[in-house]
Amino acid sequence: MTQYLITFRTLTQAQRAARLLERAGYTVTIRRAPAKLSVSGCGYAAALRKRAFEAVELLRGHGLWTGKLFRLEENGDYREVLP
Amino acid sequence: MIYLDSAATSLRKPVSVERAVLQAMRGMASPGRGGHEAALRAAETVYACREEAAALFHVSDPSRIVFTLNATHALNIALRSLVRPGMRVLISGYEHNAVTRPLHALGAEILVAGRRLFSPDTLLDEWESALGQAELAVCTQVSNVFGYILPIDRIAALCREKGVKLVVDASQAAGILPVEMDALGAAFIAMPGHKGLLGPQGTGLLLCGEEGEPLLYGGSGAESRLQTMPGDLPEHLEAGTQNVCGIAGLLAGLRYVRGQGTAHIFAHEQKLLSAARSQLGQSGAELFCGPEGTQSGVLSLRYPGLDCEELAARLAERGVCVRAGLHCAPLAHESAGTLDTGTLRLSFSPFLSEGELREGLGILLGAAES
Repeated sequence: MTQYLITFRTLTQAQRAARLLERAGYTVTIRRAPAKLSVSGCGYAAALRKRAFEAVELLRGHGLWTGKLFRLEENGDYREVLP
Repeated sequence: MIYLDSAATSLRKPVSVERAVLQAMRGMASPGRGGHEAALRAAETVYACREEAAALFHVSDPSRIVFTLNATHALNIALRSLVRPGMRVLISGYEHNAVTRPLHALGAEILVAGRRLFSPDTLLDEWESALGQAELAVCTQVSNVFGYILPIDRIAALCREKGVKLVVDASQAAGILPVEMDALGAAFIAMPGHKGLLGPQGTGLLLCGEEGEPLLYGGSGAESRLQTMPGDLPEHLEAGTQNVCGIAGLLAGLRYVRGQGTAHIFAHEQKLLSAARSQLGQSGAELFCGPEGTQSGVLSLRYPGLDCEELAARLAERGVCVRAGLHCAPLAHESAGTLDTGTLRLSFSPFLSEGELREGLGILLGAAES
C-alpha cells in the first residue's frame, strides 16, 4: 500500500496536525522524519496510507500546513509530491 | 498530620496522579529524543497534557501551552520577553517575589497600585488612573498571603481598553477559580502545577498569548542543525529534557480538576474558610478576612505579642502543617500592614475535610494559649 509522509519542523506541530487528521477519520502515525527529508535536522512526520492530498487540504484549511508531502517509492526513496 | 499548607504545595493528590507518575517512570523516555515506543509514549502524554490544559484554561491552540519548572520559571520567561530596562510596569500591591524580583533584575520602573486589602473597587479605580503611565501590567489573580481575589476580568478589560499588555500570575487561582485565556486576552498567564492543579512539584505552565523569548537555550529535539531555538511554540521556549514524569502527573491532576470543576472545588474551600472564621473568631487572633467573594481558601492571622514563626513551630510539633512569615511576598505584607510581624497562613485543599480542619484549629487554639 502507498505510504505518504507529511513533514513538520517540530514534534508538537506534527502532533497537532495528527490530532486534526485523526478526528477527520485518518489513521496517522507520528514518526521521526528520514534524515534526508529534514533540512534543518531532527524533523517529524505524520505517516498515512491514503487520501494524502485531501489531508493536506484539511491542514491548509486549519493553518497547519507548514511542511511538505512525500510518497514512498518502490525503490525505497521518498519523492516530494506537493511543493 | 493535618495539612493546612496547600497554598505552598498541595500535599494530597488524587491517586491517579501517583499512578501516572509511576507509569511514566517505568515506561516513558523523552519526547522528541527518539522514534521508539518509549519516546512516542512520552510524546503522547506530554501533548495530551497540553490539550488538557488548553481545554481547562480556554486556550485555542495546545501548542501555546509551554511547560516550565514552576510558576516562577514561567513568570521569568514572560517578563524577560516583555520588559526592557526603564520600562514602567504597573503591579498590584499583592505581588509575590516571583514577579517583583525579576522586575527589579530587569531594571523595570515599578508602579504599585491597589494596596488596600479586600477592596477590588479601590484597586480598579487606582489601576484606571495608573495604567495611563504604564507600558506593561502584571497582576496576581489571588494573593498567596491573604487569599484576596483580585478582579482579574475587570483588570484585563482595563488593560485592553488602555492598550497595555497584561501578564497574569495565576499561581493561587489555577484549579480553584476560572482562568480563561480567551476572555482575559493576556500576553501570558503563569501558574505552577503543584498547587491547585494537584500535580507534582517541578511542574508549571505558561499560557502564551505571544511568542515570547527563550530564557534557556539548548536541545529541543527539533531543527537541530540550527544554532537558534525552533521558531514555533512550544519548542521555542522549552529547552532541555522535559519533566515527563511530572507532566504525566500533572495531566492526571488537570483531569481531576476538570472532572470536579473549579466551582465545586471553590465552594468546598469556601465552606472550610467559613468554618475557620467561625472557630477562630473569638480566639483573640487578628483574622484577615474579606467580604464574600473576595477571598479564596487562604486565611492569614496573627496573635498580638506572639511570633508567628514560633506559633508555626509549636503547631509543627503537634502535627499541624501551616506556613508563617512573609510567604515570599513582602509587598503584600507591606500593603496590608503586616510586614513587621508576618502572618500565620492556613490554606485549604479539595481533600481537606471540615472535621480535620476543626481538629487542626483546636490544636492551633491550644498552641496559641500555651
